[in-house]
Amino acid sequence: MKRSLALLLLVLGVGAGTAQAGEIKIGAGAFGGYAVPLIQEDAGSGAVFGVRVPIRASSMITIEPYYMTSSLDEVTEELGGVEYTRDGFDMKSLGGNVLLFGGTFYPYVGLGSYELTREGSEDIKELGWNFGLGLGVPLGEKFRLDIRGEMDMIVTDESSRKFGAATAGLTYNLTQ
Amino acid sequence: MKNLRWIVPALAIALAAPGCVLVSGQFLIDFKLTDFTTTTETAVSRADVDLSTEEDYNDHKDELQGLSDVAVLGTLENTGNTAINAEVWMTAGSTAYTTADEVRANATKLWGPFQVAANSSKTVDWDTSAGLFTRTGKELLVSEIKGDGQFTLYAIAAEATYSFDVHNGVLALVLDFAK
Repeated sequence: MKRSLALLLLVLGVGAGTAQAGEIKIGAGAFGGYAVPLIQEDAGSGAVFGVRVPIRASSMITIEPYYMTSSLDEVTEELGGVEYTRDGFDMKSLGGNVLLFGGTFYPYVGLGSYELTREGSEDIKELGWNFGLGLGVPLGEKFRLDIRGEMDMIVTDESSRKFGAATAGLTYNLTQ
Repeated sequence: MKNLRWIVPALAIALAAPGCVLVSGQFLIDFKLTDFTTTTETAVSRADVDLSTEEDYNDHKDELQGLSDVAVLGTLENTGNTAINAEVWMTAGSTAYTTADEVRANATKLWGPFQVAANSSKTVDWDTSAGLFTRTGKELLVSEIKGDGQFTLYAIAAEATYSFDVHNGVLALVLDFAK
């Protein structure tokens, strides 16, 4: 976990270091959506919620620390003629995104420390990556609506757990 | 734009670092165990497992990376007059031990204890079962899954005398794969 956080800070530091000089804008926002497991036969879908603090460092780059949490549904399988239910994961992530190019449509990449827990299993505490595409629409002078589609990959030894997620979020501009 | 050059190699490293994580995932194999009765009055019951008879296992055999989740499922009926703590032990490859003492001396404890009251039956749920695996047993299981997929399971109880039936037994394995 410590190594993951160190790497995360390094990436954010590199991103910030490349920022152009200029006015820095800071916002605060919340988002919600739905996450779907990809190629995982033992995990369910579930709602996802979180907060993020976009820091617009230049016209091209926004650094965005975030915290996300999700409680995924349980999975039911018929095994040997009997239905069994497996507890769903509780997923948490603390990390940062880098939003690129500053347009209405923008790509972004992120790095986070993920924690997946469920009954009867060892906790998964690993580094994960995400990338996606967002649509940012201003709502008046102080608010902005962001609709995003992304893929999260949590690296587990030589494999990974992957989730697709769609979210909508509202951000309040603190500096303008 | 010049200042964004670092993004491309960073993204490439992210995608390449853990192997090809994009083509990876978890799939479930359920290996059915035949119903059996086991008692200290007779030879111990065993199940010879050969995962190579499972199509999903063969399809991903060369891409297996590990064991993500595992459960021993089924209904245990304690036909004795005292409570039992059922256990599953395991050996690599095919073995044919006949007594519980032989099993304890030569096999590796994989799962348990799962307590069943006297003269009653109890179905093992997935969450409980997943938490009853021993670390050494799991390591041996992973080794066999990555190997030839052939091993032997023994069902015994921790008590000196016991008698129980197992119905609808299943070994459920959630395997990690990556191409």
